[in-house]
Amino acid sequence: MENQVSRRNFLNRLGVTVGAAAAATAVPATYFAGPRPAHAAIKVKGNIPDKPFKTGHITFLTGPANLLGEPGRKGHLLAAEEINAEGGFLGKRKIETIVADEAAGTDANVKELRRMKLSEKIDLFTGVISSGNTPALGPVAEELGVLTMFNDGCTDFLFDKAVPKPKYVFRVTNIQSADGVTSAVGAAKAWPQAKKVGSIQPDYSYGRNVHEHFMLAFQKLVPGAASVSEAWPKLGTTDFTPHITKLLSDKPDALICGLWGGDYVAFYKQALRYGLFDKMKVATTLAFGGQPHAIGKDHPEGVLAGAHANYFFTHPAKGRWPINDSFVERYYKRWNEYPSFESDGAYVSLYLLKAAIEKANLLVGGWPEDDVIISLLEGMGMDTPAGYLYIRPDNHQGYKDTVIGMTKNDPKYDFPIWDPKSIITIPIRDITAPPNWPKPGTSHNESTAAANWLKTTWLT
Amino acid sequence: MDILIIQILNSIFYACILFLIAAGLSLIYGVMRIINLAHGSLYALGAYVTAWAIGTFAAGAPLWVSFLLLPAGAVVVAAVGAAIEPTLLRPLYNRPEEYQLLITFALLLILEDAMHFLFGGTPLTAGAVIDSMGTMPIMNLRYPVYNLLVIAIGIAAAVFLWAFIYRTKFGVILRATSQNMRMASALGLNVKRVYVQAFALGCFMAGLGGAVVVPAQAAVLGMGIEALILAFVVVVIGGLGSLEGALIGALIVSFVRTAGIQFFPEIELAVLYLIAAVVLLVRPTGLSGRA
Repeated sequence: MENQVSRRNFLNRLGVTVGAAAAATAVPATYFAGPRPAHAAIKVKGNIPDKPFKTGHITFLTGPANLLGEPGRKGHLLAAEEINAEGGFLGKRKIETIVADEAAGTDANVKELRRMKLSEKIDLFTGVISSGNTPALGPVAEELGVLTMFNDGCTDFLFDKAVPKPKYVFRVTNIQSADGVTSAVGAAKAWPQAKKVGSIQPDYSYGRNVHEHFMLAFQKLVPGAASVSEAWPKLGTTDFTPHITKLLSDKPDALICGLWGGDYVAFYKQALRYGLFDKMKVATTLAFGGQPHAIGKDHPEGVLAGAHANYFFTHPAKGRWPINDSFVERYYKRWNEYPSFESDGAYVSLYLLKAAIEKANLLVGGWPEDDVIISLLEGMGMDTPAGYLYIRPDNHQGYKDTVIGMTKNDPKYDFPIWDPKSIITIPIRDITAPPNWPKPGTSHNESTAAANWLKTTWLT
Repeated sequence: MDILIIQILNSIFYACILFLIAAGLSLIYGVMRIINLAHGSLYALGAYVTAWAIGTFAAGAPLWVSFLLLPAGAVVVAAVGAAIEPTLLRPLYNRPEEYQLLITFALLLILEDAMHFLFGGTPLTAGAVIDSMGTMPIMNLRYPVYNLLVIAIGIAAAVFLWAFIYRTKFGVILRATSQNMRMASALGLNVKRVYVQAFALGCFMAGLGGAVVVPAQAAVLGMGIEALILAFVVVVIGGLGSLEGALIGALIVSFVRTAGIQFFPEIELAVLYLIAAVVLLVRPTGLSGRA
């Protein structure tokens, strides 16, 4: 019967929830991403040394990618300050963070990670934004045996190929292939008539990944859809006018745009003046990826605004998911701005670790060895500002349901937010390969396990 | 047809910006033999200062205030240049070139961080300026009128710079100093002053580039690095130290880049470096460079 499912039914069967997600219960659990309520103090077993817990955080401090790096660093620091206010991990070990600039380049990042481990003796390595960097840093972290929570750099390649059997390396934000697929589902629902697709992507692994997975999913959902125009500006481009003119000349019905950070801001400002938004529907993966206030009120409404398939602070809406309400409130109070998905990811990383350390302490007493912490992080689930997050034991990757929505101006904010009526939530299991699906280079040679899964299981 | 016209306008627009950056880079090298690695960051500083000035002082004010503030970036960057030359560069003229490269690279890093510190991490814009001039129809498409103003400023700057160097007394002094600094000094010219003026003029050009580009794009962190790399491609093709070279190089880079994007989007990254490589093989001093 499966192959008789029509495309419309398939879209419906994806279980896409339109509008705000159902209200959740607001019982403060012992383990969730946020400060512990006063009545829920933990018991610590054994003696804990009060040695500081040293953390190395590499993220973009400079360049156009700082728009993503800055909120990541702020999310990390907020969590560290909150945990330190409770006395640190297990009430004793205060978090100390050393920060380094990811813009120094991949080689320099690898050297810095080695330096952080060997001469600063870090207990934890976190951060990292670029998909160009995690595949280089992951193997080194494994070699050094340093517990690692990557915030982003979410390329499928990391756990498909670079570190296929991770021990020390974990990653919190959603897997990258889900990003292109989420935008494809959003675009197919909004514009099922759009057959001619244009694509503008940064010319490196992220842009390639978005283009491939968007097209794979979109062509399954909109029969006859084809790519008619491609533009591949290099990362850090500021003049997009020839790309915009090229896209206009090919007259696509819809455009998929994977530009991010300062690049996206420069792109949309120029596209606006060339009338691009009037000539085609626009879907993005990261329009809402940077600090929310980086996008101006001049941004057109009705653009499918991606948040890397992870999180935008107005969703879940106020009152429906108290963990998010209080996170946004505390983040705003601390930094005088609203959080992004990188803030959520970096913030949640430390709380995941905190929960694992506390559980490990209850099991073994004293300060737990990394091996015990790791075994508890594997398979751990947690309620976070973005919703429920689950860490798969087989690949150490975090998964949560993906979200996307359309831009709309709201008088309450100086920047566009998601139109609440347009927000869709997609169960992650419907758009990504299941655990232990064959990795590239085994029974297939697709670029990612997810691509193979999409090709072989969607609407075949 | 409309696509062709717009792509040609895009290319000329971009060539004007590249020329403003590369001409300053070339002028400074021609006179002082300094490869200024901070030049792209000075361009970015021009963009930030103009966007900041318009955002701070022109909010709510009549539109002519914004236009009046447009050159603010160029003026501030020229002043910064006039301060940098005597303090940071002058002590190094008698040292090997590596010292100058190191100090201008250090300056690049300091300027990038200073801009982040002063203007924040989120992009600054001056969109009201470009929107006030509206767009003009080119058949089925639209083109922002402001971009034509930038093209006019670019052409005017090229003419002005040429006349300044080849038709004024200061130009004669500048060229004399660039050909033989010791002889010029022996003839009683104040070489120190010429150096400050030339460096400030080069910085002014870069700052002007940033100031006029910001309403059309946005001031974003890292924009100076991209500009520096492209400016180097321009001067490698055109010839370091030559004003005509900067013009020819800017036009070639801009038109080839646009053609690449329109017809072979996949090779956009490679095509400019290929041209630079070919020019280096055939004419190592650049198309209009002197050995």
